[in-house]
Amino acid sequence: MTVRAAVVLAAGEGTRLRPLTRNRPKPMLPAADRPILEHVFDALIGAGIERLHVVVGYKRDRVQDYFGPTYRNVPVNYVAQNKQLGSGHALLEAREAVASEDGFLVVNGDQVIEQRMVEDVLDAFEDDDGGAMLAVTEQSDVSHYGAVRTEGDRVIELVEKPETDEYRLLNAGVYAFDASIFDAVDETPRVRGELALTDTLSRLIDEDVAVGGVTTEGLWVDATYPWDLLDVSRELLLGGRVTEPERGEAVWVADTANVHEDATLQGPVVVGPDSEVRPGAVVGPFAAVGRNATVGANAVVSRSVLDTDTRVGPNATLLDCVTGQAVSLGAGTTVPGGPGDVRVEDSVYEGQRLGTLVADRVRAAGDVSFAPGTLVGPNATLHTGVSISENVTEGAEVFR
Amino acid sequence: MCGIIGCTGRETETLDVLLHGLDTLEYRGYDSAGVALANGTVEVCKREGEIDRLRAAVDPAMDGPVGIGHTRWSTHGPPTDENAHPHTDCTGDVAVVHNGIIENYDELKAELTAAGHELESDTDTEVVPHFIEDALADGMSRDEAFRSAVARIEGSYALAAVFAGSEAILATREGSPLVVGVGDDAAYLASDVPAFLEYTDRVVYLDDGEFARLESGSWTVTDAEGRLLEKSISQVEWDAEETAKSGYDHYMLKEIHEQPRALRKCLRGRVDELTGTVDVEALEGLTAESVQFVACGTSYHAALYGAQRLQAAGVPAQAFLASEYATAPAPVTEGTLVVGVTQSGETADTLAALRRAQARGVETLAMTNVVGSTAARDCDRTLLIRAGPEIGVAATKTFSSQVVACNLLSATLADRGDSREIVQALRDLPGQIQEVLDASRAEAVAERFVDSDGYFFIGRGHQHPVALEGALKMKEITYKHAEGFPAGELKHGPLALVTGRTPVFAIVTGTDEEATKTVGNVKEVEARDAPVVAVTDGASTVDRYADAVLELPETEPCVAPVLANVQLQLVAYHVANKLGRSIDKPRNLAKSVTVE
Repeated sequence: MTVRAAVVLAAGEGTRLRPLTRNRPKPMLPAADRPILEHVFDALIGAGIERLHVVVGYKRDRVQDYFGPTYRNVPVNYVAQNKQLGSGHALLEAREAVASEDGFLVVNGDQVIEQRMVEDVLDAFEDDDGGAMLAVTEQSDVSHYGAVRTEGDRVIELVEKPETDEYRLLNAGVYAFDASIFDAVDETPRVRGELALTDTLSRLIDEDVAVGGVTTEGLWVDATYPWDLLDVSRELLLGGRVTEPERGEAVWVADTANVHEDATLQGPVVVGPDSEVRPGAVVGPFAAVGRNATVGANAVVSRSVLDTDTRVGPNATLLDCVTGQAVSLGAGTTVPGGPGDVRVEDSVYEGQRLGTLVADRVRAAGDVSFAPGTLVGPNATLHTGVSISENVTEGAEVFR
Repeated sequence: MCGIIGCTGRETETLDVLLHGLDTLEYRGYDSAGVALANGTVEVCKREGEIDRLRAAVDPAMDGPVGIGHTRWSTHGPPTDENAHPHTDCTGDVAVVHNGIIENYDELKAELTAAGHELESDTDTEVVPHFIEDALADGMSRDEAFRSAVARIEGSYALAAVFAGSEAILATREGSPLVVGVGDDAAYLASDVPAFLEYTDRVVYLDDGEFARLESGSWTVTDAEGRLLEKSISQVEWDAEETAKSGYDHYMLKEIHEQPRALRKCLRGRVDELTGTVDVEALEGLTAESVQFVACGTSYHAALYGAQRLQAAGVPAQAFLASEYATAPAPVTEGTLVVGVTQSGETADTLAALRRAQARGVETLAMTNVVGSTAARDCDRTLLIRAGPEIGVAATKTFSSQVVACNLLSATLADRGDSREIVQALRDLPGQIQEVLDASRAEAVAERFVDSDGYFFIGRGHQHPVALEGALKMKEITYKHAEGFPAGELKHGPLALVTGRTPVFAIVTGTDEEATKTVGNVKEVEARDAPVVAVTDGASTVDRYADAVLELPETEPCVAPVLANVQLQLVAYHVANKLGRSIDKPRNLAKSVTVE
């Protein structure tokens, strides 16, 4: 059996990454020079996938607009999941789209994976001639994810977010199935209305249906919380997983970017298409400047991710900073960097390496400073000279 | 109007290739469609209505190594089965498809009828196969017969013919588009490249007066006298699948959402914000003492905007409707630049206006979306707007790209020292359109006013073209009455039409004199009980008098029209959707109108 189709699950918001997900789902958040989902597509296409079926839901237009009807000459078919009722439910929505396939991949669209993982799953699945197969990878801390125990090439246990630390393997979210998976998902009881694919797999294991586990190595990074986005970009830059041309050692600059000769790029760093880096600016190390962004004269941007259309004024200093799209940070903005205590919903996460996270279209006038760990909601307006010492809500206007 | 497809060398797949080609050409016309396949005989199947009706009617066993197809937008005779193309001669051995208008068909028809030919349709096209029939009967070869028939007709045309017992397609053009696709063992012919892009990306663009002969994998192009011409093969960069809907219900909505990306492409490599320079290769060294824009429909609204930009920069500029200019052009001087704005580069009225200008010896510039289009090849220079393929009949993203291109043109022709602010505003524009798309309340506004009797749009200065464009979009796809006016004109007549059941969309940005005066006009409307929808950046007081507000981000006044227009595109789309209209293929319309 040859597998040439993949179902990519990209419908979920990723609520723990709010407020960055106000206008787009987690798969469209930046991972170095492009959205997370693009890394997933690249891994799939690199492994020989010729048909992409993407399950979209939350802010689906953002996925559709970015990739359009084809990506790298591979047709992209969009399947709507109107209510986000879990990964199993999402997969069921794609049932018709893959009806003519003997076997197909199912991949999470919100975690960066590597081509090798996809290839390993494909090889194992094709050797086994069907059934269910998942990629397993070793990580030091699996407590946020689906932990896996294997025996030979079989998975014998799947535990979501294990509370003990005895697990070392995690479910990488790369699966291969044949059409029998749909009935199995359909028969799985819903938990609080939701249908998780991993519940179905656990049931199959309990019923002694073979679920293959192929242990694979390679880059696997996920962002659960806002500060994780900095680590994701860091890993990708370290691994050279960047598509822009390499201008110098670990310095990637798009052909259409305009970097002034008096600006300094310190690798690893990537500068995206149509962007401008002005005289005297120092960008990097571990900085990703997105599409059509501007870094003003004499600004310093380090260990940061600046998303599409962001404007950084002259003399700004940004360390450990994540910006959303079309953020405008005026002259002399100061983000001294982490670590700081980050409040996400009702929990406080202490000592996280996050300077600040500034969501889409925040406008900060000159001389605004940000205390470590602050989150600024979309469309907030921060007036000249204010000090941001706690989270700012969407659309708020801060005068002092 | 009308789309042509042809293929030879695909053996048993001929019918599939033709039907697929017609699907992609449907934007050029969709009131009837037909195909003809030739083997020992010529088999024809044609139907009034959209291509699905033809698909249902056609015998899947219809077979032949060569065939032609046609999708029609009526000019001569209503859409009926009889008037659909292809048309045949009395013997049924010759089938012809045609795009364009044969101006002397009345006399030709009379001549043929007098000679005993039986013409079955009301079309101008049908004279062609009958002339071919006569010439064949006189002992001419098929090529000679085709040429002799073409020699009889006057007007604009792209023509293709197939014959019983031949595997060749003969074709020619004069004023209507026609391109040859070069496959490995097959050859294709179409009005537009996407029709065969799935099979080959190598194309030969035919020029007016040239004849093409396609047979299996071979093709030749000759001039009117039959001399062999050396034509170069171009590689097209469009991706075949780029013409799918990417998860949207309609091309129009997809294309509205593509605007940020389209503008990024339009600007790429052409602007530098730090130095405030605009550097467009195609415009290098361009100077003009005055500029005349010629355009139709939505492109005309972009042209009006372009003329305003140039005027503001101190360059005398005017925009003309191309159909008027073609017959009554404005005076030109040596330093006049005539700019044809046409998405397809094939709009017959605009081409006629450009030819009129060329005949008077002035420099011409095509502002178009299509590489290798007739306008691009005929004009001295071509400024590509780079919007990517637009399939929806109602132009959306191409308007935005044209407006940006107008700014590139005006910055090139006249630097007023504000270019850095302009470049900055242009670079911000893609993100701001995204902001409008993310936050628009257009659907709610559409829901509220869907049952209205009519819609009026007012704007002043740079927002005047957008008022016209907003109204055009509304009428094109909702079939409701809609009119746009310069805000100050409303009280000079149109105000009589305003009632409580005619919402007025007022586009007001900034706080300058234009904005203040428009707010005054809004009060006049409000006093007549008409609902007011303010399309505004919130800088003025217009929202106080408004029943609903469509918000815009603040920006430079000169690029605000693009943002306002996106809101109005969305309103028109949602009204049409709620009314269940055929949004991508509105009645009576075609995407590129290749007749005058």
